[in-house]
Amino acid sequence: MAYVALSDAEKTFILHGVEEDFRCDGRSRRDYRPMELETGLVSNASGSARLRLANTDILVGVKTEIEVPDPLTPEFGKLEFFVDCSANATPEFEGRGGSDLAQELVLSLQNAYESPLAFDYRTLCLIPGQQCWKLYIDILILECGGNLHDAVSLAAKAALFNTKLPRVTATLLDAGITDLIISDNPYDCTRIGIDTVPLLVTVCKIGDFCLVDPSAEEEVCSTVSMVVSVSMRNGEAFLSGTHLTGGGAMHRDTMRNCLQLGLSIGEHLDTLLAKMLRQEQERVGPKRPKTVGFLK
Amino acid sequence: MLRVTQVKNSLLDGASIAEELYSTPQDGDNFFESLEKPAKEPENLAPRNTFIRAGVVTTVRGSAYMEYGNTKVLAIVSPPKELIRASARRMNMGVLNCYVNFAAFATGELESVPERERLLSSMLTKAMEPVVCRTEFLNFQLDVRVLILDDDGCLLSTAINCCGVALVESGISTYDLITASTACIYRDHVFLNPSAKMEELLWKHRTGTGTSTGSDSKDNTSTKSVQEHGLIITASLDTFEQIAQCQQCGYLSPETYMKLMDYTLAINKSLRQLVKGVLTARVREQHELDLREKAESALEDQRLAEVIERLKLRGLDEFIQSNIKEDPYVKKQ
Repeated sequence: MAYVALSDAEKTFILHGVEEDFRCDGRSRRDYRPMELETGLVSNASGSARLRLANTDILVGVKTEIEVPDPLTPEFGKLEFFVDCSANATPEFEGRGGSDLAQELVLSLQNAYESPLAFDYRTLCLIPGQQCWKLYIDILILECGGNLHDAVSLAAKAALFNTKLPRVTATLLDAGITDLIISDNPYDCTRIGIDTVPLLVTVCKIGDFCLVDPSAEEEVCSTVSMVVSVSMRNGEAFLSGTHLTGGGAMHRDTMRNCLQLGLSIGEHLDTLLAKMLRQEQERVGPKRPKTVGFLK
Repeated sequence: MLRVTQVKNSLLDGASIAEELYSTPQDGDNFFESLEKPAKEPENLAPRNTFIRAGVVTTVRGSAYMEYGNTKVLAIVSPPKELIRASARRMNMGVLNCYVNFAAFATGELESVPERERLLSSMLTKAMEPVVCRTEFLNFQLDVRVLILDDDGCLLSTAINCCGVALVESGISTYDLITASTACIYRDHVFLNPSAKMEELLWKHRTGTGTSTGSDSKDNTSTKSVQEHGLIITASLDTFEQIAQCQQCGYLSPETYMKLMDYTLAINKSLRQLVKGVLTARVREQHELDLREKAESALEDQRLAEVIERLKLRGLDEFIQSNIKEDPYVKKQ
């Protein structure tokens, strides 16, 4: 994560705040910072979203391509993640500085989306064994203000919700070759179901307490954090990929607490995100607010 | 679907190649059917047959070789070296880098090797960070290299175990001994220490799980509970019951997650005894070697002392005379 220099006194102040359940910015341990979410900003992508979580700014674009499915999973489409840590975010990302962080984010996203129960790869299938959609999810980190895992997964989910795949009809030619016809009408499209798409929740351990949505300063104070990937299915929360990060260790009981905190927060976050996305979609015509964009 | 007809191989004197070239989704099912299924609740929480030996490579100080069933791994710890480009964030901690490499013959498919190497390296670094006292070598970096000689599942956990032993052998201070193990669940069966074939089944044949029969299962999903599948790798430091890393993939309910984690923690405990035994044996062996060396040098000292004593008795002149040799190039007058 982006490095913030903190003195011992500042660290102690943050630690005491966490113990009192009253953090530096006035939040409790279970609160998120305010979020701004917009979809459909990038005209060249099939779907896009921009998320601002206090100082963390993420822009996600989804591009589509037609590919041949893997012979072992003939009815599955493909997903590919790419994270770009822009040098605008911190000078540390200049050159190859951000590649470690980018790789970590890509790996945790890949891990979370791996299971066919978490993301229904069948919806991306065109002709089993012959043609499928491949989605390129390109994530651009414009500003780094802590809690990147959560912000990136929220933005990716919103961008997937916004993704419009053109309707495809297939005609069978001679010798079993199929020809795909992509609809000319830009409004004739299909959407991707995002009900079970996982969200990552970082549960950060500072002192003896666990908290969510750490700011960049709080991340410096934490010894270990747990990234919990929560996928909602039939109203129940499932785990689709968790790991520890931050170079520390924790007790089994602490881990269970972290897990429970992460699951309850993830559940809440998921319902809220779904609600907000639906609201934004319904606002059409003059009621739709002007897109603000990411440069403001 | 994809079936390759067997071609007679002229090189093999008309014999056909036994192994099939391509696997199909159906093969996964067949393999699972043929598999000996463990009980739903495994009672025997034991590691596989394990062989560990510390100090196998003489060119570096810390090295270890480990066999975990058929999985064979070699780990090397090179001494800390100074950071070339020190940045502010690294000032208060030493840097640990782990690199995992597959030997060319370690695995059947070569396409996915670079990606797996990257994934394993990153996970291994995360797992080893908590155990090394990184505050002791500020501004230095420690490189740990792992070579995988044979892959039969549980790669990451075996690599963690092996690195733990190699770190102790190299004399890098650690907070505790680290041990790791793997458990997975597939179609309601819990597999401890899954083999490579089992892990492949989990990842490659993903169609086999959950909604396997297409349309009719779609109606059932609301009533039928979700079929969980997933894999857990836990690395623990048992003195204070700390968990250094717990990586999970797949799709699990929180209860199953905790259950699988407890299984792996139990295996870690018994592995820890083994690692402890290996390390104490190694120290004892080294101690014996040292003793023998000491005894030998003492003997040598004694011999020299005797020589000196004898010379003293015979007098210095005689000693000098006995040591003057005739110069062969100077002719006697």
